[in-house]
Amino acid sequence: MCLALSAQPAAKCVNCHSAEARSQPHTPMGIGLQLPAEQLVLKQHSGLTFQANGYKYVIENKDGVNLYTVSDGTNSLALPIRYAFGVTSQTFVLEHGGHFYESLVSYYPNANGLAITMGSERVRPRTLVEAMGREAPEDEIVSCFGCHSSGGVIQGKLALQSMKPGLDCEHCHSGSNAHMEALSQGKPAAIPKKLGDMAAEDMSTFCGGCHRTWDTVVRMKVWGELNVRFQPYRLANSKCFLGNDKRISCTACHNPHADLVRDDAGYDRNCLACHSAPQKTCPVATAKCVTCHMPKVELPGSHSVFTDHQIRIVRPGDRYPN
Amino acid sequence: MKVLARVFLSSIALLAASPATFEELASQATAAREANNIPKAIDLYRQALQLKPAWTEGWWFLGTLSYDADQYQSGAQAFAEFVKLDDKVAMGWGFLGLCEFETGDRQHSLEHIRRALEIRTGLEPSMEQVLRFHEALVLTRLGLFDQAMPRFMPFVRRGVRDPTLISGIGLTALRQPMLPGEVPAAQQPLIAAAGQTAYLWMTGDTAKTEPAFHALIETYPKAPGVHYFYATYLLSFRPAEEAVAELKHELEVNPRSADARAMIALLMVRAGLSSAATPLARQAAEGGPTSPMAQYTYGLILAGNGELPQAIEHLEAAERLDPASVEYHMGLASAYSKAGRHEDARRERKTSIALARESDSSGSR
Repeated sequence: MCLALSAQPAAKCVNCHSAEARSQPHTPMGIGLQLPAEQLVLKQHSGLTFQANGYKYVIENKDGVNLYTVSDGTNSLALPIRYAFGVTSQTFVLEHGGHFYESLVSYYPNANGLAITMGSERVRPRTLVEAMGREAPEDEIVSCFGCHSSGGVIQGKLALQSMKPGLDCEHCHSGSNAHMEALSQGKPAAIPKKLGDMAAEDMSTFCGGCHRTWDTVVRMKVWGELNVRFQPYRLANSKCFLGNDKRISCTACHNPHADLVRDDAGYDRNCLACHSAPQKTCPVATAKCVTCHMPKVELPGSHSVFTDHQIRIVRPGDRYPN
Repeated sequence: MKVLARVFLSSIALLAASPATFEELASQATAAREANNIPKAIDLYRQALQLKPAWTEGWWFLGTLSYDADQYQSGAQAFAEFVKLDDKVAMGWGFLGLCEFETGDRQHSLEHIRRALEIRTGLEPSMEQVLRFHEALVLTRLGLFDQAMPRFMPFVRRGVRDPTLISGIGLTALRQPMLPGEVPAAQQPLIAAAGQTAYLWMTGDTAKTEPAFHALIETYPKAPGVHYFYATYLLSFRPAEEAVAELKHELEVNPRSADARAMIALLMVRAGLSSAATPLARQAAEGGPTSPMAQYTYGLILAGNGELPQAIEHLEAAERLDPASVEYHMGLASAYSKAGRHEDARRERKTSIALARESDSSGSR
């Protein structure tokens, strides 16, 4: 079953922005958080099991509920999976005793099942609750729902009653709801800021709100391969990153209203937008630039490979920069 | 006869005044030093160095003897000559910085202490601790409080509870650009109380920290810096609005505080209220030309508005005032980048990363 089939086009925006509003809800950003009814990864892989640190984990669908169970051989703790974060790899947010927990195990397609959640590899649980997951502080939960849902965070506070999974138009296009409301009432409507006009630096800051800005990564002091997943940071470290140029902005290569392009050749035109003059052309190849200049890097602990957005000439034996 | 006698006496006088050789003076200086006759040793080293200014060892001993004798001006001159001859010796830079600290040449003191810590090789562990402590003190004296506070942390972690340390921490917490020895007697209880409170916070003793803050505020509700200090504490775990309320209290008792004004503006920017924050940030920048935070905050807002030349001016001012702040370099990098000054942006990004990495490795020392 295709995940995209469950998503609906953004209501009303579709009247004028048909293509974007129809395609965006099916993108990874549109379905980055799934409620029980839409937890299709779990529906497709029911009966997942895993053992670690003397605990056994089972995720199974019982009576229509995705149940996350951890047991130590004597006792067990079973909780319904309320929220599944991510699209291909998924981490679960569970509720216990009035608190939110990040599941200690996650689903990773590359691991062909469950594995320890990235960042929790060194956890040695002493209780069932610790084995179930890591209690997430409030600000972290706010951050999770802030980036994976729409309306889930209002004025910096968690607002699950108004939360809609995935990102809707308003999430990025602030003011679009008011714009739509005014238009539907026949009133003059303020036009939300056109994001596509932003140059690379501003765009990186904007997208970095969720994908992490350059500044955030430095503040977090995430060095080495661990920062490969923070694309705005990596991109800004590229020699060809020109902050006042739109040709190297996030949206120059990625259409946020469409699925990620996985064909390496699909990005060539973006590279050639700058590297077409004879003195700037590549002496090695004329196609699939990203295969050499944006190598794939395995993110430790994630069972996933990321494209390194620090665009560069990669020589054999080079260490991961920064 | 009289003439002959005069010639004879002149010859004797000449013999008596015939200058000693460098070797003789050096040997006498060593003997005086070993006999602990410091004034004589200092004098002899000076004489020997006049004959041989490239005598590295002489400058070293003249410097250390002067330092021990509390003759810091002389010590600073000697170590300045020493490091000119050998700039790889961390101890030389360290003593130079310490002498300058005592003579009141704070900016150079900071620069040279840092040079010593940067070289580090050959630095005796006790000297390294002395330098790190003085670095923190001089940062506070220069008004670079945000840089100073983390530098006290290693001493707190080791459980040091020296009154000078507590006082240094207290001054930093209350953003008072003074040295512990400069605190007027009437202010000492306040500084000590603030130092104790900050110390508890730094040890992570959450049960005692909050009551200590309440006691501090109750006892000194009108002391400049107290509400600002509490606001920084609140910011670490409470919603920003609570910190803003404290910062407003700070402005009531300390209306000229550019830092408090800038901090409110910065929190507004982070809450997405840049437009509303602009007048406050402008006022902070105008009223606080020496406050790096005020310059930074206004620069950040201007950069967000696309007023890049003015933004860069303020961000560069912040960076000049506090060149070791990662935040100011990052703000500048972004503004340069937006302005198309790519090489400058790259340089600032590299500096930011280097500083962030440095703070990683120095935190445990």
